[in-house]
Amino acid sequence: MTQNKTYDVVIVGSGISGAVIAKTLTQAGKRVLLLEAGLTAGMNLDRNGNYLNYVDYLNTFYQAEIKVPNSPYPNIKDAPSINVIDMQPITATNSPSTTGYLVQAGPLPFASDCLRGPGGTTLHWLGSTPRMLPNDFKMKSLYGVGVDWPISYEDLMPYYEMAEFEIGVSGNVDQIKWPEASTEKQQVALKNKYYGKNYVFPMQEIPTSYLDSIFTGLVKEINNNDPVKFNGKKATIGFSTTPQGRNSVPNPQYPYRDILWNPKKKKLEFQTKKRWNIQLNGVVDIPEDEKYEYLPVGSTWDPNTGLRCEGNASCVPICPVQAKYNALKTLFKADRTKTTIKTQSVASKVLYDEKTKEITGIEYKTYNTANSLTYETHVAKGKIYVLAASAIENAKILLASGIANSSDQVGRNLMDHLCLLTWGLLPEKGYPYRGPGSTTNMSSFRDGPFRKEHAAWICPIDNWGWAWPVFSPGSDLAVALSKNIFGQELRALLADSIPRQLLLHYECEQAPEPGNRVTIDPNYRDAIGNYRPVIHYDASDYMKKAFKAAKDLNNQIFKDAGIQDYTVYSPTIAQDYVGYEGQGYNFWGAGHIVGTHRMGSSKKDSVVNADCRTWDHDNLYLVGCGNMPTLGTSNPTLTTTALTFKAAEAILKQLEK
Amino acid sequence: MKSIDNGIAIFRDISVHLTGFTSMELTGTGMLETYYHVMVNKNNLGVVEDFLAAAAKILAENSKDPAKLRSAILNNLMPDGLYSGLAQNIITMWYLGSWVNEIISPQSYVQGMIWSVANAHPPGAKQPGFASWNVAPPQL
Repeated sequence: MTQNKTYDVVIVGSGISGAVIAKTLTQAGKRVLLLEAGLTAGMNLDRNGNYLNYVDYLNTFYQAEIKVPNSPYPNIKDAPSINVIDMQPITATNSPSTTGYLVQAGPLPFASDCLRGPGGTTLHWLGSTPRMLPNDFKMKSLYGVGVDWPISYEDLMPYYEMAEFEIGVSGNVDQIKWPEASTEKQQVALKNKYYGKNYVFPMQEIPTSYLDSIFTGLVKEINNNDPVKFNGKKATIGFSTTPQGRNSVPNPQYPYRDILWNPKKKKLEFQTKKRWNIQLNGVVDIPEDEKYEYLPVGSTWDPNTGLRCEGNASCVPICPVQAKYNALKTLFKADRTKTTIKTQSVASKVLYDEKTKEITGIEYKTYNTANSLTYETHVAKGKIYVLAASAIENAKILLASGIANSSDQVGRNLMDHLCLLTWGLLPEKGYPYRGPGSTTNMSSFRDGPFRKEHAAWICPIDNWGWAWPVFSPGSDLAVALSKNIFGQELRALLADSIPRQLLLHYECEQAPEPGNRVTIDPNYRDAIGNYRPVIHYDASDYMKKAFKAAKDLNNQIFKDAGIQDYTVYSPTIAQDYVGYEGQGYNFWGAGHIVGTHRMGSSKKDSVVNADCRTWDHDNLYLVGCGNMPTLGTSNPTLTTTALTFKAAEAILKQLEK
Repeated sequence: MKSIDNGIAIFRDISVHLTGFTSMELTGTGMLETYYHVMVNKNNLGVVEDFLAAAAKILAENSKDPAKLRSAILNNLMPDGLYSGLAQNIITMWYLGSWVNEIISPQSYVQGMIWSVANAHPPGAKQPGFASWNVAPPQL
């Protein structure tokens, strides 16, 4: 059944990329159809219904036995989500592993998940929003690793500012330390160069944790007394505070009030005198005498809820008050008269004209109720099509459609941050399990000549104890009970040890490898006949060398700081396990799924150009983390959102040609 | 009704000694009766009755000597092989809000005692407010 109506743009997916496209285009007057695979309940525009649905998520989270990122959200057979619980080692008798949605062909299982549903993975993201470093865009020419981006950091700067506005980033530019700066003067010069002399974030820095102050204090003493050795040389360990997409105190110096399309100049522009008014569905002038203040965006059910982070310490998997940004906040700002949203609508195939290569429609399947085995097939029509369905789903849809793949790069170069976790007991209480997941990161090893040899990393100080690797504090209780400890003694033991828990995780930048990839296989399909992604995945020596370097560094820090090391790596831990030079390492996924349809400067070795438009089809854009040619050491959402604003601008230009 | 009330009272009193919390702290969760019924419903009734009878006896016989009381609980209630592991499961229920590995209800998760022991709060609930994490928590 073909839709009668033709839209300007058809978008697949309502995560942050799809939402930014929908908002930007409709506010510029374009008519948009947005297809969302997940349940209608999650897209409730009615405030009361929206709230009740969110309370359902929250209660599901409360009652989840294992509180993994997707635990609050429905997992439906018609549009399944990846779940990290399903990950298992791939063995001779278990190849491929098909326990979960992914078909894991190995040799290692892919360790990260994302969320298919209204709002996408921003519902469970942590919210850390560091920018990539300028050198991250030039990995091939500087370090001989991977590829260079077709654009530079400087090209992306204005779009980074748009992303920071849209997400509502809280942070302090002066507290972001540059790995290459060894003096305060260099630090200021780099800040001025790469953020702009007067740049401030929309909101002031999220307060750092008490735990941060304890740990950075210990490391400061190491720096002063006997610095650690990194790859054989003395190194000073530096820290940055982490910019975050959660509401804090508005920054009085922040000048911008909105981002709007300028049809004359054909570009997106920051506004200081105009803004979009949601109630009026239009642009309004801001009265001259109105005192400026950046307006944090509250929850989707009540604008007065969530205007500050309240310290729920559960950003992953759910912020109960929505002080943390999620994509529905952006989507609900779209012009409602120009936005059509179809939920429970799963894109299955992109249709095209074999002669002209023009995209002619998107085939999608609708189901009536969750886990229904019956569906109807429809076709959505537009002038331009945008896939915003996540790195894995975008690649899967392209492969299923046999399009956009003249470079043979679709599905390849799947990347993640491989997280080496280390945990120990501090000599004094740092009081974890409070505040956002991380507020400070060890930033010295994000860049340097060592990247020729092994991966760089960012190392956040985790505020939530040992919950990630060993499911503390439940496991601490279980260990004590196994020793028959009870009563006052039990209470005292837990009161002494849990507040001293420290967790670090070295997020190592995975290099692009053509063999790490998403493929499809007609033997593996979901309940309504769509392909399940088949994943081939491994960790190269470039990664394993980084594990060794990070662990060596960590051992020195723990020893010198008097931190009792409880880190254990073992093939019996249900995570990825690799050996290198006689040592075994577990690594965990970061949920940073990128690289499956990378951008480049040539159609020979990339899927999209610098505007996120496919080389092979003039009216098909891909948005989301799949575009990233390399990952850097930053959480990818901010960079992806910056690229999405760039894509939105290109789409508007193309429509108004 | 009398026997249920009596059972709940024994359950409460032995829970004090198993968990290390005061009676006020336990009843303050609002979970006492729910947890009692979970214990009864999740087990063979005979095992529960035997456990409560043993607990009542231990409490009565050692009420004036904390060291003896502790020893009696350690030897006669705590071992995993006794009463289907009931004592350890009761401790877990108060600390985590779960029976064995199953969280009883959203409210039981929120009322888990382990979080206050850690000077924290259950993630996603009882939020202490903006910037509270920037300083050491108030000591209880």
